[in-house]
Amino acid sequence: MMKALIERLEQKFRISEVVRQRNDELFMTAAKEEAVSLVTYLKEYEGFTHLVLLTAVDWLEAGRFQLTYLLNNNAVKADAGIRVYLDRERPEMESIHHLWKQAATYQRELKEMFGIGFPGSPRVDEPFILEGWRDIPPYRRDFDTKKYSEKTYFPRPGRKTYDPEEYMKKQLYPEE
Amino acid sequence: MADKNKYREKFPEKDPDGSNIIDPESHKFIKVWQGPQHPGITGNMSLELILQGDEVMHCKTHVGYLHRGFEKLMERRRFIQCFPLVCRIAVPEPDFNEYCLAATLEELAGIKVPEAAKWMRTLILEMSRLTSFLMWLGGQSGAFGLGVAGQWTNYVRDLMLDRFEEISGGRIYRMHIPPGGVRGLTPDGFRARMEETLQAVEAAMKDVDRTLFDNAVFKRRTVGLGYIPPEMVDAYGVTGPNARAAGVPKDVRRDHPYLKYPELDFDVITGNDSDVYTRTDLRRKEILLSVDLIRQIMAKMPGSGEYMAKLPNVLHWKIPRGETYIRAECTRGEYGFYTVTDGSGYPRRINVRGPSYTHAVALMEKLAVDCNIADVAGLMSSLHTYPPEIER
Amino acid sequence: MRLKDVLSPFLAWKHLFSPPVPVRKPLEREAAPRYRGFHQNDMEECIGCGTCEEICQNAAIDMVPVEGIGTRDGDSGLRPRIDYGRCCWCALCVDICTTGSLTMSNEYQWIDTDPDVFRFVPGAEAKPWDERKKGYRKPEHYELYNTERIPMEEVPPEARSKSFIEIVKGYSKAQALREADRCVECGICIATCPAHMGIPEYIKAVREDDMEQALRVLYETNPLPEVCGRICTHKCETVCSMQYKGDPISIRWLKRYIADQVPAERYEEILGADAVEQSNKKVAVIGAGPGGLSAAYYLARLGYRVNVFEERAEPGGMMRYGIPEYRLPYDQLDKDIGYIRSLGVKMTFNTRVGKDITLEQLHKDYDAVFAATGLHQGRSTRVDGADHPMVFQAIDILRDVTEGKKIEVAEKIVVIGGGNVAMDIARTLARLQNQKYGKVQLILTSLESEDIMPADLEEIVESREENVVIEPSWGPGSIKIEDGKIKGLNVIRCLSVFDEDGRFNPKFDQNETNFFEADQVIEAIGQGMDIEYMTKKFEDRLEMTPRNRVKVDIFGQSSLPWLFLGGDITGGTDAITAIADGHRAAKGIDKFLNK
Repeated sequence: MMKALIERLEQKFRISEVVRQRNDELFMTAAKEEAVSLVTYLKEYEGFTHLVLLTAVDWLEAGRFQLTYLLNNNAVKADAGIRVYLDRERPEMESIHHLWKQAATYQRELKEMFGIGFPGSPRVDEPFILEGWRDIPPYRRDFDTKKYSEKTYFPRPGRKTYDPEEYMKKQLYPEE
Repeated sequence: MADKNKYREKFPEKDPDGSNIIDPESHKFIKVWQGPQHPGITGNMSLELILQGDEVMHCKTHVGYLHRGFEKLMERRRFIQCFPLVCRIAVPEPDFNEYCLAATLEELAGIKVPEAAKWMRTLILEMSRLTSFLMWLGGQSGAFGLGVAGQWTNYVRDLMLDRFEEISGGRIYRMHIPPGGVRGLTPDGFRARMEETLQAVEAAMKDVDRTLFDNAVFKRRTVGLGYIPPEMVDAYGVTGPNARAAGVPKDVRRDHPYLKYPELDFDVITGNDSDVYTRTDLRRKEILLSVDLIRQIMAKMPGSGEYMAKLPNVLHWKIPRGETYIRAECTRGEYGFYTVTDGSGYPRRINVRGPSYTHAVALMEKLAVDCNIADVAGLMSSLHTYPPEIER
Repeated sequence: MRLKDVLSPFLAWKHLFSPPVPVRKPLEREAAPRYRGFHQNDMEECIGCGTCEEICQNAAIDMVPVEGIGTRDGDSGLRPRIDYGRCCWCALCVDICTTGSLTMSNEYQWIDTDPDVFRFVPGAEAKPWDERKKGYRKPEHYELYNTERIPMEEVPPEARSKSFIEIVKGYSKAQALREADRCVECGICIATCPAHMGIPEYIKAVREDDMEQALRVLYETNPLPEVCGRICTHKCETVCSMQYKGDPISIRWLKRYIADQVPAERYEEILGADAVEQSNKKVAVIGAGPGGLSAAYYLARLGYRVNVFEERAEPGGMMRYGIPEYRLPYDQLDKDIGYIRSLGVKMTFNTRVGKDITLEQLHKDYDAVFAATGLHQGRSTRVDGADHPMVFQAIDILRDVTEGKKIEVAEKIVVIGGGNVAMDIARTLARLQNQKYGKVQLILTSLESEDIMPADLEEIVESREENVVIEPSWGPGSIKIEDGKIKGLNVIRCLSVFDEDGRFNPKFDQNETNFFEADQVIEAIGQGMDIEYMTKKFEDRLEMTPRNRVKVDIFGQSSLPWLFLGGDITGGTDAITAIADGHRAAKGIDKFLNK
């Protein structure tokens, strides 16, 4: 089933990095400009009618974001994950809110948490989880949660820890 | 429902997409915030309601009161350290987080889980479903003014927590499903105590049946309320009991069988009317199904055997680059973890798909419109949402 | 609307007189036996390895010193302090605890108005639940790391008993990675290693398959890794935190694995000739054993011009002339030494200080002297007949074997001694007997009973595999000689070796005797030192200890500031101690010359 699907998709779209993770789960990378057509095609013609999730992965080192559209076909019980890579400098993607109503929520969250734009998506600029956030989008890899918490909160005084190795050196052979 | 439309035909005017046009300057609307502390909502989130009289004209969901950035926090934790963290993503039903995390990591790392552990996991997940439903039932009946049913169900839920405590040493955060297996099998004499608890649940459900489901007030208020047409199911990402009540037989336990569900005998429960009453009734049946499934599991599961796979040293456990998604059927619907690894000792990204994400936002914002404000809490409850899984 | 729907809800009233369901005395409710409540820690069992702190994802645990608990080998003296403001009761700390000392009680109630009391050291600060038997314990058969050592392959006894081929095969890459994975990086071993090698660090490099980094870490503290990777007494393994639940990490084999992976040609490129300023100062090293070589290496690294004076024709000392080839092949020894020589260390062989050149001369010609001349004089049992020509010193034969001399090998041999040298000579002679007679007739007898025999356990096991008969708990009585030929050894039962104060003071039972038939007797009961070359001339100025050793400070510096000592002559017992002495002496000499 999956094999035939891959063949059909390969004829119509430029897909790459196809991984059959399980018999019922498939991941592929789509060209950015074709991704929405591919998702639409899968929804309208291949029975992948359920949008399981839409999320992003930050490949900071490679300078790009990965968007993952995970679609489910409940008739044949299979999942297809579509990866799309976006330039981290100008991350923007076509919206799919016209395909699924809940997509607008996902896109709103991605805008807020990763700073990925989805022009035309309803309420995409409204804050979703954060209120009055001024820092860089917090789910980006270069946002340091530890530093943020150290800056924002204060630790309880009185904590001190010793490293066994260094402590033993100090106790047992300090001169060396 | 039909009579409402008589006076709503002209006012307020509608957008081309059918939503009401709200002009705050007209002084014909008032804005009311329901939440984030409203008892009708299971957890902290709020609804920004715009009313005309006592009719809801517009609804916006606001979340963020429980955001702790779990997904991000996991990126700086070793794989094993994510395990005690994830249970907090859905407090009344934490075990699905543990299972989904463990299952994605096991798949990506190529770890085979022993059979006894699979049975234990099935047992824990089904027990977790049962406790979650029992707690929800209190919220649902309470939202329509019947407090006593919730007291009964929460009492039997507490008995079930005693069983959890016996197995795992924790009542709320069980933390019993680490990657690799489970942390132990059932203790001696557990079967008998479990059976006793299940009978207590059944007895309580009989009382609930008569007081809540054969209840003129409850029926009058819930029949026809919050109708979800079947075509909305996929368009709004609806899963679980909310979809099944609309007649769409979606159940991960059957569609994408996991753990020991293929060896259990059960039918997917569906409803027809897709209103609050149907959804409540469907969940009542789910409670009874859970009781039945737990009995089946107890009868079939082995009492001994390996329950933990051999893990590499968890302090420097690295998982090869890969990505996968694993789902399970929690009480609200499809729960899943999308896990991306990059070959390091830390997850690259873990995305939690909680069913409430779609139910409480897109779906709720749609269903609340034209509802009476007095019914909003009950409608909200009928979607069975847990806010922490929305914002993670 | 049905009438039933109106009446039915009133059914709730049936509970009107039901007793309330809540627990009557909730504060007295005992939690389940597996409950994850407040921690308990057995102070005696805990070794302060800090693994609990390492796994805690809440950063709730600090390792802190505790009054009454000292730092010693195998115990850092630290104990976990838990901050219950952060603890999430996940019990991963209990699961990973290397000794199993950390557990949880099933106590969950504790009310106080002072938040600071909820931060304490379990076990050290008495709590009512300390003795509680119920509570979470790490489940059996559930481990967060592999507790079992990856077995080392060896050449089977049949294949090795006639030749001197190396017995231990060494880890493959896959085996080494798996073994290295077991390490929890607690670092407890570092203090126990005489050279304080960066053990967790090089094991980490093995895990990451970074052999270059691994080699660099080894050479920071030990310039003889091929040697130590084979024959080290591995004291580190005796304190390894992994031993409590299973086997200690094979630290020695991992070290050997690293050195074996890197060919000699790549050493220079990896270790680099640090751009050290070459000094004009010269240092003489006496003895090319592990101590001397180590000192020479680190002195050369510091830029000194080093000349090593060695009595024998080749460098290595006991490593070459004492340890048999089946444990340490000469080519591996040469690999380590070759690299040291490549740094410009000069070596003068066949030169015995005190005979061929005097210490005064060295003092005159060099800015400092480091002496590590070892123990090369075998001790005699002095029993009747010990002066017979067929009675030999183990150390002499081992040296002769290395030098390729003809060895006297009788058909029946008795070896006296229970240490590693006794094992070395027994196994060497067993091989030679096998070659000469096709069978082994060799008895090894020791004063010590088997459980306190100083030899390594694996030596005892392997000796037996090679058909050496071990007869423990016998004291040598006399050597029976008839017609000028040795007939055997009379022994008496040894009841105990040490007295109550732990001093060497053997007790015998004269009534229980035995006789071991033999044509040749080997004595392997220890060696003494010959340091006349220094004591004779400098007697008046060389301060000695009560046990008649030359008094030295931590850097091996004697009361003659230019003379440094190390290795077995200052009380060391093994190669790694000598290596550590050499390293310290190099630092000491550097300090002395840069004053």
